[in-house]
Amino acid sequence: MARILLLLPTTTYRATDFIEAAQRLGVHVTVASEEKNVLESKNPEGYLKLNFEDLGSVHRSVLEFSKRYPFDAVLGMDDTTVIAAAAISHALSLKSNSLESVKSARNKRLMREAFSRENLPIPNFQSFSINENPERIASKSRYPCVLKPTLLSASQGVMRVNGPNELYSAWERLRKIIQAQKTSSEVLVEDFISGQEVALEGLLEGSQLRVLALFDKPDPLEGPFFEETIYVRPSRLDSRMQEEVIACAARATKALGLETGPVHAELRINEEGPWIIEIAARPIGGRCSRALRFGLGISLEELIIRQALGFETCSLQVDPTPSGVMMIPVPRPGILKKISGVEEAKAVPGVVDILLATHIGQQLVPLPEGSSYFGFIFCREQTPQIVEERLRVAYNKLKFEVESTDNNLPDRVLESCHETT
Amino acid sequence: MDSEIKITAHIEAARPNTCKFAVSVSLYENGSAFFADREQAKESPLAAKLFGIKDVTAVRISGSNVTITKEGDEPWRPVAGKVAEVVREHLKSREPAVSVDYASNTFSDDEIRTKVQEIFDTQINPAVAAHGGMVDLLDVKDNKIYLRMGGGCQGCGMADVTLRQGIEEAIRQALPQVDEILDVTDHASGTNPYYAPSKR
Repeated sequence: MARILLLLPTTTYRATDFIEAAQRLGVHVTVASEEKNVLESKNPEGYLKLNFEDLGSVHRSVLEFSKRYPFDAVLGMDDTTVIAAAAISHALSLKSNSLESVKSARNKRLMREAFSRENLPIPNFQSFSINENPERIASKSRYPCVLKPTLLSASQGVMRVNGPNELYSAWERLRKIIQAQKTSSEVLVEDFISGQEVALEGLLEGSQLRVLALFDKPDPLEGPFFEETIYVRPSRLDSRMQEEVIACAARATKALGLETGPVHAELRINEEGPWIIEIAARPIGGRCSRALRFGLGISLEELIIRQALGFETCSLQVDPTPSGVMMIPVPRPGILKKISGVEEAKAVPGVVDILLATHIGQQLVPLPEGSSYFGFIFCREQTPQIVEERLRVAYNKLKFEVESTDNNLPDRVLESCHETT
Repeated sequence: MDSEIKITAHIEAARPNTCKFAVSVSLYENGSAFFADREQAKESPLAAKLFGIKDVTAVRISGSNVTITKEGDEPWRPVAGKVAEVVREHLKSREPAVSVDYASNTFSDDEIRTKVQEIFDTQINPAVAAHGGMVDLLDVKDNKIYLRMGGGCQGCGMADVTLRQGIEEAIRQALPQVDEILDVTDHASGTNPYYAPSKR
């Protein structure tokens, strides 16, 4: 029986979906996390402790482990594990992206440089250290611009600024976030690109991009922060623009040198056409993959495992029923005391599920400091328009009681916020 | 006799590598027998023959049903044909599907309940207590185990990893004939999960 190594950080949202997918396929699973599981002694082949940040120790541990329990595939499903997964796969001579390509997809500056070399449509960008004098940065920037820490994900720390004064305060705010996250001090300052945003979910096979879904993001993302909300598919863009978007994303994967596995791309579209904002060598984040089903109900996670094991996947087409997901915005900073209206929201026609990813008593931290998903609403309906409407109706049924806390978040709170997608 | 035996195959949507074959005659009236490998299948003439089919990894014989789990990506149609052939041949042989000894070596639901509770008390709960967690055995019915996770396990981002890789493994090592292990926890109501999902 095939065995897969799943790299699942203890803070992931994805453990359930991947474990379920592996079970459905009947494959053996070893779960690697950064902390030892309390039941490791009951199933030594089922667990492995790995420090994902230390590739040397990852390499040694996995090579030793694989002598007893050989792997047929290694999967890292979020930004913290894709690099380790590629490194392990190379060490074990398993199918994988090159380490260089994955590192480029993980670092916004390296990504922008790779896109620039291939003349892809990207915003003008400069790179600075957060420790540099903001007055110097302000004098060298064009407005409006966007500040982006190079190694954080999913809009954490990303801020739009419209002039020097906004830049000074945003710079100081970002400095605290970077310090709390203990992440790279490098920051991109790039032109703000106006326009509609879309997300493309794809699967690479032999460097060829297979588009699984193109999602519209109907809520405008104009800043100052960039909290994602609704994803709806199929896209309502005209077919010519969809082709341009797909062609742009395909060029972007090639520019990075990605060859295999899932990709999640984000693009903006305006009168000049599509602009590639980011592409990640992993699937869509959180629980959003539940908006997609393939064949007779196969999940995106199962599709990914099937591909990694060399199983046939081409016949598994995405379910054509229009679908969507709403990432429930974090209502406001504070302690979550109560959520109500969930059953009423679930009763909205077309709503197929609501998953809350936040527990009562949890400290809520919105963007740009925060990173956690509050929850997800899933909908399937006859048209994308109806999907979008129903998601909004369901969201409006939800009521949140949040006990306010000091707006100046203490360092201990910032430190508890992990990076996001 | 062949022509009188009807066999209908049903693939479970939740487990596409598992296929249930409903046979028009009874195979094992005494209950349910599960075999996770060839070694265990020595106690079942029918299961031993079914393990001769390529890719078969588990066999359950229950009443007039045979449930086969296979590995790999081969389609079910050719495997199903072989399963039907083996079942028909076996019925012709007049051998029992499951040996008489097997029944005396297996456990009733009450006995399973006692043994699982012991596993929870001595192995699982002392371990998950380190994370403020607990696991309660709610019921055992028709070889299926119903459990609920609480404390630090309720809503924990790694709850399914602990359940499927740890708890399930410990139960199956002791009681291989157990069918499904079902978690009925309302994880959304957890107020103190040990690992709160937070990384997008």
